[in-house]
Amino acid sequence: MIIRMSKIEIAGPKDLLQQVLSLLRELGLFQVEPAAIGFIDSADEQHVRSFSLDEKTTIERLYLEDLRLKIDDLVSLLPHAAVRESYIDPPTVIEALARMVDHHTVQARELSERRDALQKERVELERNAVFLSAVASLLQSAKETPNLEFIGLTVRDPAMVGNLREAISRITDWKYEFQTGTAGDGTVVGLITVEKAIADKVKRSLADEQVPELTFPAAFGSMTFTEKIAYVNQRKIEAAAEIEGATAAQERFAHRWLPLYRSVRDWIDGRLSLLRTTASAYETKMCFFIHGWMPSRDLERIRGSLLRSLGPQVVVEEKEMREQDLEHVPIALRNPAYFRPFELMTSLLPLPAYRSYDPTPFIGIFFPIFFGIILGDAGYGLVLLLGAWYLRKRFRGDQRIHDGGTILMISSGYTIFFGVLFGEFFGDLPERLFHLQPLCVERRTAIVPMLIFSLAIGAGHVVLGLLLGAMNAFQRNLKREGLFKALSIVVIFLIAAVLASFFGVFPLVLKRPAVLLILFLTPLLLFAGGILAPLEFLKSIGNIISYVRITAIGLTSVLLAYVANQLGGLTGDVVLGVVVAGLIHGLNIVLGVFSPTIHSLRLHYVEFFSKFVEHGGRKFEPLKK
Amino acid sequence: MNLEKVLIAFCAALAIGIPAIATAWAQSRIGAAGAGTLAEKPELTGTVIILVAIPETMVILGFVVATMILFTVK
Repeated sequence: MIIRMSKIEIAGPKDLLQQVLSLLRELGLFQVEPAAIGFIDSADEQHVRSFSLDEKTTIERLYLEDLRLKIDDLVSLLPHAAVRESYIDPPTVIEALARMVDHHTVQARELSERRDALQKERVELERNAVFLSAVASLLQSAKETPNLEFIGLTVRDPAMVGNLREAISRITDWKYEFQTGTAGDGTVVGLITVEKAIADKVKRSLADEQVPELTFPAAFGSMTFTEKIAYVNQRKIEAAAEIEGATAAQERFAHRWLPLYRSVRDWIDGRLSLLRTTASAYETKMCFFIHGWMPSRDLERIRGSLLRSLGPQVVVEEKEMREQDLEHVPIALRNPAYFRPFELMTSLLPLPAYRSYDPTPFIGIFFPIFFGIILGDAGYGLVLLLGAWYLRKRFRGDQRIHDGGTILMISSGYTIFFGVLFGEFFGDLPERLFHLQPLCVERRTAIVPMLIFSLAIGAGHVVLGLLLGAMNAFQRNLKREGLFKALSIVVIFLIAAVLASFFGVFPLVLKRPAVLLILFLTPLLLFAGGILAPLEFLKSIGNIISYVRITAIGLTSVLLAYVANQLGGLTGDVVLGVVVAGLIHGLNIVLGVFSPTIHSLRLHYVEFFSKFVEHGGRKFEPLKK
Repeated sequence: MNLEKVLIAFCAALAIGIPAIATAWAQSRIGAAGAGTLAEKPELTGTVIILVAIPETMVILGFVVATMILFTVK
């Protein structure tokens, strides 16, 4: 339900503005409206101006904004660790923190940079280790001597090895050794062994050919390959220990200071939000004015609180809600406990306009019914009921998943109910095992009756949507829109009567008057709905046909369950049969959660709500901590 | 007689198969665009679901026609 809102003006002496705003923030019931349109009469505009902060408050605001930025800077340098809550009153330490924040930022930056550098070094060492371990295997067959130089390289394309070998032979006059191997990451590495005298020539040639030589950090100095490998392994261990130390130092710092800084930051946020809200107030020579919105039922509560705290000097007045104000009223939804979880589904849509309807109760009533009809299997319903119970129990703290579990629980109740009506318990097991017949209809064979049933549901649902749309349009004085929707309902009934007469459900003698009435109403439809009326009306008919999906999706579920039992039976072995049938039923249950949900939602979002819900409301965001 | 049954079944298969392909094609295009939209504006989830769901009507109508072919053509 959309909560009824009141348009409110609060006025009082200028020096009480901050106290009034603090109190309103404590109560969390009042949304300040910065725009004056609709609140201040044009005749009074010359006496009223935006509230301007005094010098002291302006300085305070700038000081707090600067400190807030500095704290943000510091916090961004610290690890996101779960830390305790600070119980120190922020205003008592704010000045001390303001003096220390720069020093702490330098410390935190040093720690952060140290850790980043070590991590970078570790990545570099890992990379070198990969290549060196590959080269090490090549080195085993080449003995290191003072006259020889080893050149490591990476070969991008293994097909290049032949060309490289040929080029090196030419440069070194066949005085070389070239071995290749594959590194751990799949890169082909090579090791060229040449005399020191011609090593530079080979390196230059490799550079000209754009073959990257393995480069190592400066710390490696003039180490041989064997020394490099030992160094890398040693340094990796040291770096890991140093990173651990740096992380621990950062965490110690965060544990010590983060709670205090967070608490001060929250306090600054609150104070700044109050000071910013001040900019939405108005003033005359003596008084301040705040305009805004609040739930009508809380009006007396706010009046009483202001009276008790600040006396009769502050006045709360409920102003008349005019037609043009209705577009600006913020929207707050409040539903009974049963419907509240379904707000999860309506939250996917934009908020409804203030004069429209909250779609939550409608989705709360019809969604589980549609879900139940589509899935319609008592066994599946029981499994889903257990799943829903687990979700609700396991995710008690996560409101969205808890709500999802509640919706699933309600829907599985309807699934069991319709499952009993359709005689389905894990497909046709009741019939196979106990020769039980369905109470109502066997969906697997009664396709046409189920199609008619789903069309009837569609007609009822769409007509209800049109009826609500017509009522809403008449309330808003949109007579033509209301008339079009009302006429659409009549024509839908007449078309249903004509169709029913073909099946002998409706007296055939009344078919001709029904057709004549449709022809008579058609010009009226055009008059009320304009040139697009036929299209709009056909859309409504298309919307009704769309409800056939209830049968279509349900039929796939029934048939899959039937196939599961049939295949299970064909195995000729009890255990194997149960396993095969169980697997297919499991798949069907998983599909049975998603498919009915998506299609039931679609029927609401596209077919039903388009008839009466007008979107475009803005969220009610009261001033609060 | 058998050939007639085969033809009826074939026509019913076409009646649902072609709209199913058309729906799949439309949904693939809308779905891809929708996924891109949601990456930037998650608040449009409802609108994207509606847009993705719209072409499904084709396959539902195909299902109705296929059912009519199977159960009314004698």
